[in-house]
Amino acid sequence: MATRSTTGGVSAVTDRVDRETLHGFLFALPYIAVFSAFLFYPLLKGLYMSFFEWDLLNPAQSEFVGLANYSTLLSDPLFWQALTNTTWFVVLTVPSLLVVSMVIALGINRGIKGKKVLQFFYFVPYVMTVSIVGFLWLQLYASNGVFTVYLGKYVGGVLTSETFALPALSLVTVWWQTGFYFAVLLASRQKVPERLYEAARLDGAGPWRQFWDITLPQMKNAIVFVLIAGTVFQFQVFGQVETMTSGGPSQSTVTLVYYLYQLGFQTFDLGYGAAVGYVILLILVGVSVLNYVIVGRGVDE
Amino acid sequence: MSLLASAVDDVSLDRKTLYTVGVYVVMYGLAALFAVPLFRMFVLSVTPSDQLFGMHWIPAGITFQYWIEVFTTRDLIYRWIWNTLVISTITTALVLVVDSMVAFALTRLEWPGQRILFGIVIASFMVPPHVNIIPLFTLITQVGWTNSYWAIILPFTATPLGVFLLVQFFRDIPEELEESARMDGFSTFRIYAQIILPLSLPVITALALFMFVWSWNQYLWPLIVLNNDMAYTLPVGATTLQSVYQDDANRLMAGLAVISLPLFVVFLIFQDKLISSVQMQAGTG
Repeated sequence: MATRSTTGGVSAVTDRVDRETLHGFLFALPYIAVFSAFLFYPLLKGLYMSFFEWDLLNPAQSEFVGLANYSTLLSDPLFWQALTNTTWFVVLTVPSLLVVSMVIALGINRGIKGKKVLQFFYFVPYVMTVSIVGFLWLQLYASNGVFTVYLGKYVGGVLTSETFALPALSLVTVWWQTGFYFAVLLASRQKVPERLYEAARLDGAGPWRQFWDITLPQMKNAIVFVLIAGTVFQFQVFGQVETMTSGGPSQSTVTLVYYLYQLGFQTFDLGYGAAVGYVILLILVGVSVLNYVIVGRGVDE
Repeated sequence: MSLLASAVDDVSLDRKTLYTVGVYVVMYGLAALFAVPLFRMFVLSVTPSDQLFGMHWIPAGITFQYWIEVFTTRDLIYRWIWNTLVISTITTALVLVVDSMVAFALTRLEWPGQRILFGIVIASFMVPPHVNIIPLFTLITQVGWTNSYWAIILPFTATPLGVFLLVQFFRDIPEELEESARMDGFSTFRIYAQIILPLSLPVITALALFMFVWSWNQYLWPLIVLNNDMAYTLPVGATTLQSVYQDDANRLMAGLAVISLPLFVVFLIFQDKLISSVQMQAGTG
């Protein structure tokens, strides 16, 4: 303080600005360091690796193959199957998650008795690890498991059926993840001003009209969040596949991240795996950008 | 006239009651369905082996033998609990420190490059965490971190989510507090540690809780970098139980129940806080 008043404004101000620059940089440094080492560097290295027939034990011996990994990918039937399976999985899970969690959120919001207990049961699967979820459902889908005992006569043993294995994993996912989306939608519903409903009732709007004309438009941001975040997250499905089906029967549940895992850590095809990783990245960035352009425009924070 | 009115009232009352009943049926019905897997886990874990054949909602006799077995014979579980606890605690602490520091630099200090850095943080939201695992794995083996805590702690510490949440919160803290602190001769670090952090306690605890649960439940990455059962975390340890008890549903379920217990307890204590930490994230969408 004393310096500032005696030596006058200019140098003190530059001092302070310099100090602020230094402090700003120092405070950002830990993040920049961790970010560079574990996110940015691997991202670049992955791109680099994807141009090689990568040798895990002697990386220096890796053979440069140019774009060969990417052209292999284009004609790799398993990659296309994984892409189809993953897309199908997203289509099965995201809308179901939206509908189920919406029903639950609206129900809880009505001030139903025993709200706390209900909320507990809807949310608790979300705090479970995917491996426990997978092994638990493996039992439910077993021949004497509760699912098969009641529904087996319609669908048979789901996990050994090429048609039903992926929907079966989707059901597990809806059970496991609903809590997350339900919480998001509930918060959004609670923010809708009650006077809108009062006004609508005065105008003689029934519950259905109120839902379409008030609830849905008012919750638009949260619904868009559920759709985008849900798509990006479910697209990376891995644990359910790894613990329950290992991609079977006959590759019907191989998803992209599971395929990536197989390439990297079972067949050790690292260069090709890196290329597959990059393509998954591009697809997801594309999805995000597309979402941002199409839906994001209509949503105001 | 009045008769008609009361008839109409009756009808509408009935419809309203019917509606309420419908809501209760749907809500409790769904909750019951959601509870079935957990209920089965518990029931099977106390079902004697001779009653495992077929499907009984309630077994004729129950036994806690398998729970006791898990606690007394599978000593590795204690090791796994310890590993998971250490990893989740350090990850959470590190995320809080690193993210709050960078969020502070991004919101409360003026320096060249902060716009670019914030742009990078936002852009990294679009990078899905698991597409990097192959190059990340080669990096971890290079530095010799296979089976170490750091291999799990560090790679996902720089998550954009925490930065974003904290930036939003720090931004709304009024400038005046900081100005008057500077007048009193507070250093930048004291402003960060004694003014901004205490004021942000609600968002910090919510973020801490979320990161802790997230880190505790990590599966894919630990599965890749841990290959020694002494180093396993609980989620990876579950695969050992599954392979050992494949045909022993009651022992497997007792094991799974035991290893999901710690987070159930955390959830029971912090239910509202945890739910609100999830809700906060929607604001970052």
